[in-house]
Amino acid sequence: MKGILLARVREFIRNPFTFLLFTGMSIVFAWVISSMNVGGGGGGLPVPVYVEEEADSYQSSLEQQEAFQFYPVDKETLEAELREGEADTGVILYENRFDILVGVESPNAGLIQQTVQKVYTTDIQETLIGDAADAAGMEADQAVSAYKETLSDGTFDLTVNSFSGEESWKYDDNVHRIGGFALFFAIYTIAYGVVKILTEKRMGVWDRIILSPVKKSEMYIANLLYSFIEGYLQILIIFSVFYFWRGITFNDQMIEILLMLIPYALAIVAMSILITALVKNVEQFNAAISIITVSLAMIGGAFWPLEIVSNPVLLFLAKLNPIKYGLDIIQGAAVYGYSFTELLQPISILTLMAVLFTGIGIHLMEKRHI
Amino acid sequence: MLELVDISKRFKKIEAVKSLNMFIEQGEIVGLLGPNGAGKSTAISILSTLIEPTQGDVRFLKESVIKKPAPLRKAIGVVPQEIALYPQLSTEENLLFFGRIYRLKGSKLKQRVNEILELIGLTEKRKALVDSFSGGMKRRLNIGVAMLHNPQILIMDEPTVGIDPQSRSYILETVKRLNKEHQMTVVYTSHYMEEVDYLCDRIYIMDQGNLIASGTKEEIKQILSSENTISIQADRWNSKFIAQLKGHESITKVHVEGDEITLITPKEVNLFSEIISMTEEYGIALRSLHVKSPTLEDVFLHLTGRALRD
Ligand SMILES: Nc1ncnc2c1ncn2[C@@H]1O[C@H](COP(=O)(O)OP(=O)(O)OP(=O)(O)O)[C@@H](O)[C@H]1O
Ligand SMILES: [Mg+2]
Repeated sequence: MKGILLARVREFIRNPFTFLLFTGMSIVFAWVISSMNVGGGGGGLPVPVYVEEEADSYQSSLEQQEAFQFYPVDKETLEAELREGEADTGVILYENRFDILVGVESPNAGLIQQTVQKVYTTDIQETLIGDAADAAGMEADQAVSAYKETLSDGTFDLTVNSFSGEESWKYDDNVHRIGGFALFFAIYTIAYGVVKILTEKRMGVWDRIILSPVKKSEMYIANLLYSFIEGYLQILIIFSVFYFWRGITFNDQMIEILLMLIPYALAIVAMSILITALVKNVEQFNAAISIITVSLAMIGGAFWPLEIVSNPVLLFLAKLNPIKYGLDIIQGAAVYGYSFTELLQPISILTLMAVLFTGIGIHLMEKRHI
Repeated sequence: MLELVDISKRFKKIEAVKSLNMFIEQGEIVGLLGPNGAGKSTAISILSTLIEPTQGDVRFLKESVIKKPAPLRKAIGVVPQEIALYPQLSTEENLLFFGRIYRLKGSKLKQRVNEILELIGLTEKRKALVDSFSGGMKRRLNIGVAMLHNPQILIMDEPTVGIDPQSRSYILETVKRLNKEHQMTVVYTSHYMEEVDYLCDRIYIMDQGNLIASGTKEEIKQILSSENTISIQADRWNSKFIAQLKGHESITKVHVEGDEITLITPKEVNLFSEIISMTEEYGIALRSLHVKSPTLEDVFLHLTGRALRD
């Protein structure tokens, strides 16, 4: 078994390019997409804004909005960006009114309008209250802050419940992207590791090992263990890169998250062995793995948060999907601050998948490929 | 020593081997000859316990090995038809890997690797990656790997397919030497009858899953003792001429290959003058016409009506 692992490591050193490619892609994808959000402080879709001189105060209020990332440009740039499709929607702020410019019809235009409208209404209201207070001989600032206080206390108590039933839905774009892409690309690395069993069977190396005193269980364990290590190493590298380089702390839970992702990597190894057992050859495997991985990632929420999905079929499929549970672990720990015990459910499901798929996979493989 | 008893193997629709009986004695080189798809590899895989037969038994030293393959597995070295090596590893790394899985370690492993490198003539290439090798070098290493644990019996499946003549004769010489000097028992599969003719003491000939002849070379060639094998050579053939040969009542088999036609006829009829007058009639420029001593190829032709290498 040591021999088999050693051979794998040697092969890896000779040819680490697939591994590096997938690791690099995860990092680049997660970084490029999340870096779009970094500059403006807030997250959200970037929207160009041209500000007329008297409208500066609206601009600063707008920049505090979270849903969109408003960035100032001059008028020509704004028009050019809309014309060339760099931005779908732009905003021009005047003293008493604003214009929404729509370059490409998109559902965001309405939302942007509402957001800007709100800022105007609030600001104008505050100015009016201030003026009124002045006229009545009161301290304008006090009146405004008293008004704000009443507003934030709220007339109604409104609670929003989410999937966990405890807290409202929170979302951290960076954590989601990093987690999503790390889990997604790890599937490729692991699957290409596991399918070596099939390659070796076809090359005849497997037969040679069968004739040797090495036990079959050792052959499987060595191969699966190696694939696990390679995939897990990739996840580790990706998380570490963002931790040390981009300063993303994962809520100070990185080690815990990584430990809790071990069952995820094992479940993917198991899924790969099951697919390996079901296909006829490596070409079929490659085709199957591309389709399956991309669908798993889409259904499991690796590319966008599952919370925006409402189709019951898709949500049901997500329940069978290791990526969903992997993301539950990452988000649970990094965003909600859940502990190990609170995440026991996704961890156990992944462990169960690992055991079940490995069992069925090896059983089928032994039956079919003779 | 090693026996196949009434072996059949069926893959879904194809019956790859049909009631095959075979035995191999200590110290001999046994040939297994047959065209593509004859069932040679299947027979070899059953012999080396890699696939289970649908029917029949495999016995090593009189014990069935189908359920208990360990003793036989220890005794055999198998050279598969494919190149079963790690292409991304070097010669030496491949040998070390396969040595280790046979539980060889340390200086013993190193020494054995050196011996094998010497034997297959790849000492100079020990650091080179298998991927960069010519077909011949890969084949030699493919054999070397099977010999690491010093097997009693070497089972080779078409070890010379697709390689240059030098490597081929190197391999043939090596096999012969191993047998002479180390009394190694060899099962040699091929569809080249010259190789089998040169190496083997006894031969099994298979076609379409059936064993069609077996015995020593002399015994097999005896099959043709009541017949003559006639070879005709000319620059160009005429289809009418060939048709007439095929229709001739005293000619049992006609095989055309390039500029040579091989005929099989009963010993008692003499067709020479008739053939000469036929060539004149069709304007064929005859280069030679003679009776050959039969080859294994002719035996195959006689038994199946087809050439070994179609
Ligand atoms: N695993 C398998 N599944 C289905 N059919 C098979 C399998 N292995 C071999 N066959 C079929 O059995 C027949 C005999 O194949 P085999 O490989 O034993 O022939 P061979 O004599 O070794 O031929 P070659 O010279 O091409 O190596 C062929 O028709 C082949 O297609
Ligand atoms: Mg074969």
